[in-house]
Amino acid sequence: MKRVAILGASGFVGATLVERLLEQRKAEIVPFIHNSGNAMRLARLGIDLPAVDLLDQKQLDMALRGCTHVVNCALGNAHAATRGLRNLLAASRKNKVQRFIHLSSVLVYGDPPPPDSVHESAQTHPTGTYGRVKLQQDRMVQQACRAGLPSIILCPPNISGPYSAFLIKLVDALRAGAFALVDDGNTPCNLVDVSNLAYAIEIALDTGTADGKRMFITDDEKITWHDVIKSLIPVAECIEPVGVTREELRCLHGTNGKSSFSVMRSLKHVVSREVRAALRKDPFWAKVEEGLSQGVTRLGKVVEERLRLSIAGPTAITKPNGTQPYNMHLTAQQLRGVRHDCDLAKQELGYKPVYTFAASMAAFSAWYRSQHGMDTGDWDLLKLLY
Amino acid sequence: MPKPFRLALVGTGMVTRSSHLPAALASDKLEVVALVDSVRKRAKELARWYGISPYIVPRVQDVFGDIDGAVIATPNDTHMSVALACLEAGVPTLIEKPLASTYAEGEAIVRAGRQYGAVVAVGYMVRFRENILLLGDLLKDGYFGTIRRFVHQAGTVGGWSSLSSYHLSRKAAGGGVLIVNGTHFLNCMLHFWGYPDDLVLEDDAQGGPEANCIARFRYRTTNAPFEGVVLYSKTTELPKGIVIETDRGIVQLADSDDADSIIFRSHTYPEVKQTVRRSGKAPYPLNMNVFQRQLEDFAGACLEGRRPMIDGDQGLMSLRLHEELYARRKSLRTDWYSDLSANGAS
Repeated sequence: MKRVAILGASGFVGATLVERLLEQRKAEIVPFIHNSGNAMRLARLGIDLPAVDLLDQKQLDMALRGCTHVVNCALGNAHAATRGLRNLLAASRKNKVQRFIHLSSVLVYGDPPPPDSVHESAQTHPTGTYGRVKLQQDRMVQQACRAGLPSIILCPPNISGPYSAFLIKLVDALRAGAFALVDDGNTPCNLVDVSNLAYAIEIALDTGTADGKRMFITDDEKITWHDVIKSLIPVAECIEPVGVTREELRCLHGTNGKSSFSVMRSLKHVVSREVRAALRKDPFWAKVEEGLSQGVTRLGKVVEERLRLSIAGPTAITKPNGTQPYNMHLTAQQLRGVRHDCDLAKQELGYKPVYTFAASMAAFSAWYRSQHGMDTGDWDLLKLLY
Repeated sequence: MPKPFRLALVGTGMVTRSSHLPAALASDKLEVVALVDSVRKRAKELARWYGISPYIVPRVQDVFGDIDGAVIATPNDTHMSVALACLEAGVPTLIEKPLASTYAEGEAIVRAGRQYGAVVAVGYMVRFRENILLLGDLLKDGYFGTIRRFVHQAGTVGGWSSLSSYHLSRKAAGGGVLIVNGTHFLNCMLHFWGYPDDLVLEDDAQGGPEANCIARFRYRTTNAPFEGVVLYSKTTELPKGIVIETDRGIVQLADSDDADSIIFRSHTYPEVKQTVRRSGKAPYPLNMNVFQRQLEDFAGACLEGRRPMIDGDQGLMSLRLHEELYARRKSLRTDWYSDLSANGAS
């Protein structure tokens, strides 16, 4: 019988996988957690939840003893993700693990991804920290695979279904009127239901060549953002969101983008009231600041004003309607424009989604309504708290 | 200035580290003379963290004679043995909520408190919040009118975790999210309206502590019957708060330590929000942390020979409620795909 170690078992994907595999009873499951804070979803099943620190090589070597398969669903900051994975791969090799399944992300292709990322063979070009870390992890797994650890990398887009943080954020944004549909919502929305992903992991434990290939796992349906939003409107209890064009959104997105490096801006920041107030809490810097202020004051009112103007610039008044109306992190995802294809997983693993998009969204709605007490008969009072 | 009340903090896990110890150190009425933990290293590290030099001992018995009271903040299923050791030696105890992991254990603690004449207080610190104190007074006086319905909810994804992970064990904790999160409001509910006439619980436990639950309560024996629903989750973020519907309007308050006011909207002018706040002197300084209020109330009760704000009997009533809820539990739906047809894959 397989003995499957699941790292990051208390997370969204990990917990769904544990629940699925426990139900199947085809393998012995060892669900490792990092800390107990997030583990109640699994604790309710009355199972052992051993804690393991991915940064502790010795502990990991011991923990994986006897495990034949390892699934890595662990998250963490860049350091923990890469250092932890290095340790995990080393422990897997040491314990002669037969197969290693790693979860990647479509963000390894960048945001927006290139048009040819319909297939996995497209050039990877991550644009954010998360995508970069995920790509680095993929390369580490592929290297371990070349060194003899049979591995499969599964690459999901946004994950939907019950407990989906992505869908919860969409519901929140719809409720707050902070989501706009781009071009009537006709752009593709790549989704995979969490149970479909768990099923893909389950079959990857046994099938496929395990040669370190990255495979997209999706719901394999041509879903648009309009389809997703339409499904969420009843739980969000809102009207259809406003529409914007691609160009309008690009303009808005541009204003919300990261600011570039500027010496002048950094200087202004250093002499800003907030920074000086923080420095004044320390007696030494308070003295320095006081001395400098007195020096500037001695130069006379006119010079003092000119100096202030030259550094801080004229006082800016922010117009109230100048604020960002939409949650750009979510809304701008409509600019991605590519539909990732899961043909490779279908060929290699025999993957076929268990649930349709419609079934997945219905499951999310049922879960959401239950969790938020929408059908208790007292939702009219509960919703006042939102 | 009177001598400070000498405390032993038993258990140096998360709640002692983040709440009881800093609250005790902030008070000039209290002195932490001992940290008690079977894991000596943990207690020593905590003492070093706060720059204090108390006795570090493995058993509370080791400091009897040097303390005036003990705060018990160990896993719930160990409360009874520690409390009985203290009470039998005449040492008053403030026991972190819930009083114990079972009603029978709670009863033994209360009985020992009576037998040995030592104070038993229970750590329902929410009851020391200004808006809860005010709400209790106003509900008693019928200020908001006659109650029709109430709701309360609290939900976090992850969040607070004990160092020993005892809350992942149903036996050690005595339950799941109902005990970890829900018991605070349920204790307030008992304080406001007494024990309910009908109750039912739905939860998602399948052998372990529940991660989600919904409880419903009915108060039938009052002149104007009313009912309420509470929702607790350890898997979903739910904005924390209380809403009460009365014949006059809607009362709402945020469930947080720093909220000091109550919002009222009358049915006649629902678009007008009234902020209800105490105009006279508050029972506690508003800038005093609720854990400090609780510790000072405990010390005051011991020194003045009065009952603490939340005594053993009230803690016992909470345990009775928990056990009755669990006894009447039904399963909450957990298979979200059950009424859907799969694509055919096994």
